[in-house]
Amino acid sequence: MANVLEVKELTKQYSKVLAADKVSFTVGEGEIFALIGPNGAGKTTTIRMISTLLTPTAGDAIIAGHSVVKEPAKVRECITYLPDEAGAYKNMTGLKYLRFMAGLFISDIDALNAAVDRAKEICGLGERLEDKIGSYSRGMIRKLLLARAVMTRPKLAILDEPTSGLDVLNAIEIRKMIKKLAEEEKMSFLLSSHNMLEIEFVSDRVGIITGGHLMVTGGAAELKERYGANNLEEVFERVVNENEIR
Amino acid sequence: MKFVNLLKKELSELVNLQMILSLIVAFGIFMLLGNIMDTTIDEAKEETTNVTIRLSDRDDTGYTKKLIGGIEASGNTVKLYETSGDDYAAILSDNDIKDMIIIPEGFTEDIKSGKKPKVLSVSRMTSAATMSNLNVGNTSGLDLIEDYIKSDLAVNKGLTDAEYLLFDEPLSVVENTVVDDKSAAVSPSSIMSKIAIQNAMLPIIVFMLIMMTSQMLMSAIANEKTDKTLETLLSTPVSRGSVIGAKMLAAAVIALINAGVYMLGFTMFVSGATDDISSAAESVIGEMVSVDEAIKQLGLSLSGFDYVLVGLQLFFTIMICLSVSLVLGALVNDTKNNQTMVMPIMLMAIIPYAISILADINSLPPVLRCIVYAIPFTHTFSAIPNLMFGNRAIFFAGLIYQMIVFAVCMFFALRLFMSDRIFTIRLNFGQKSKYKAKQRREAKK
Repeated sequence: MANVLEVKELTKQYSKVLAADKVSFTVGEGEIFALIGPNGAGKTTTIRMISTLLTPTAGDAIIAGHSVVKEPAKVRECITYLPDEAGAYKNMTGLKYLRFMAGLFISDIDALNAAVDRAKEICGLGERLEDKIGSYSRGMIRKLLLARAVMTRPKLAILDEPTSGLDVLNAIEIRKMIKKLAEEEKMSFLLSSHNMLEIEFVSDRVGIITGGHLMVTGGAAELKERYGANNLEEVFERVVNENEIR
Repeated sequence: MKFVNLLKKELSELVNLQMILSLIVAFGIFMLLGNIMDTTIDEAKEETTNVTIRLSDRDDTGYTKKLIGGIEASGNTVKLYETSGDDYAAILSDNDIKDMIIIPEGFTEDIKSGKKPKVLSVSRMTSAATMSNLNVGNTSGLDLIEDYIKSDLAVNKGLTDAEYLLFDEPLSVVENTVVDDKSAAVSPSSIMSKIAIQNAMLPIIVFMLIMMTSQMLMSAIANEKTDKTLETLLSTPVSRGSVIGAKMLAAAVIALINAGVYMLGFTMFVSGATDDISSAAESVIGEMVSVDEAIKQLGLSLSGFDYVLVGLQLFFTIMICLSVSLVLGALVNDTKNNQTMVMPIMLMAIIPYAISILADINSLPPVLRCIVYAIPFTHTFSAIPNLMFGNRAIFFAGLIYQMIVFAVCMFFALRLFMSDRIFTIRLNFGQKSKYKAKQRREAKK
């Protein structure tokens, strides 16, 4: 499996805080990689560096052969990013929003229409896409944004807390959608989440980050075995506690 | 193509039903005010040109009858009323009039015995508005009564008509106004009344333009930040320069449309008033040359090139406003904070605006003048007066200063947007400790 993302000792130093310290991992084609960690562990900083929003202090990340440091514009053509608790333009209709976002990635009108059609199908919002986003529920907005994130078939979709704030049924639907896209379309995903159940269900591999350090990476089953834990939550607890003792 | 897409999105965010309705309402208000102004001035003019003097002759003597006849003989309309008592409110109400002159009993006797006679002037005040309290009837009537008595006394004292005229108006004033090395036979007050109303337009438009532009851009950026749509947008394959450019251009376009509508409305409101007032003033004062002609003679009229220069300065004013708003918008934490953040721009606009209305900036004490001119928007408010009165050096220095200020502000705005700080910078007044703690947490996250 070829790597879509190679993170090499990615580091971010703010004035007094080392938010990410030599973080390294890879994500293969069609793989779902989940970055988990407590609040303030450095997940969002790492994700923002990979999304080219923040400039790394040191290290690099290569996405589909392009460096986030040297070729951020090329990287942005290969990725999509869905921030945690992101909103959308409330005065736009859902359909207009999809067309606007597709237009930022695609210039060819036929390809653009195809991407929008795909998003319409994925989000399942039907006629509600003709309504203004301001009238959508949180779940509807999240589905719209997720459809937006995958409609252009990016090499890597980066989703920060993809199901945060959603009810159980909506969350299940979105998890299934992510899994299906990875399996059927070989789309790669980099996720971050606090929900261990979700991570265990959806991800192929997990990276636990705490205090800016990526402590371990591996499959959920592998990590449970390594730490003699019954579930990923226990693994997470042990890894974080070990880091605090250090 | 992507830039056009971004621009369309920014424009569609700014152009909404609320904005269109507010423009229509503003335009309608100007039209309504224009009509009211026109009607009021017409009424005032009508009252000035066809004076009706309302009189009650309680003395009723041969002298007062001659006096009234004399007033009528000089082409004025006199309406006589029978009145008694001192309930003046009832007198005006009963006769449905708003003013009246009452010649009391003993008026003729006082004149004959060499005493100063009394007349009563009664006027109804209906509001504090200047135009509604114009009382031409009584003022003219009292002047005519005074003239009649003076002339009568002069004749009795054996003065000829020529001697009386000299006695009455011993001076014949020819007013001249000088600007730099040019002069015109016109009073400064006539020039001022004409150009003051015309020049009132630009500061109002500039002020509104500054406020609207900054508010729009700051809201656009603040909303993007709080909704996290800015993160989404900046992670797409468009340059940050395009994102900023589209926002600035859209805000400028909308501000210019607003300014255009307001300017058109305001012009309609003002033009009728200035034409009516100046034509009335010219006929009353009897100037040697017309005010428009005098303005040209004095070099106070602006050329086409001058208007281009004013437009250029207006352009840089908007650009400074946009670049400062970019930075301030980036500092906003939430939409409530947005209203506070517009304060620096508001102060930078309101100080020179107020000063330009009340005083000549160039005649302020040097230190104060430097401080006021350090505010970049001052140069926009003083642009027309500086060009009119030949202060071209100050105008061009101001223009260059504005270009430098814009370059510096834009440099910092671009640096902010091109750097990580666009996601981490924020201001939180009065919550320093909490803010620092939160910033640390977020930085670690």
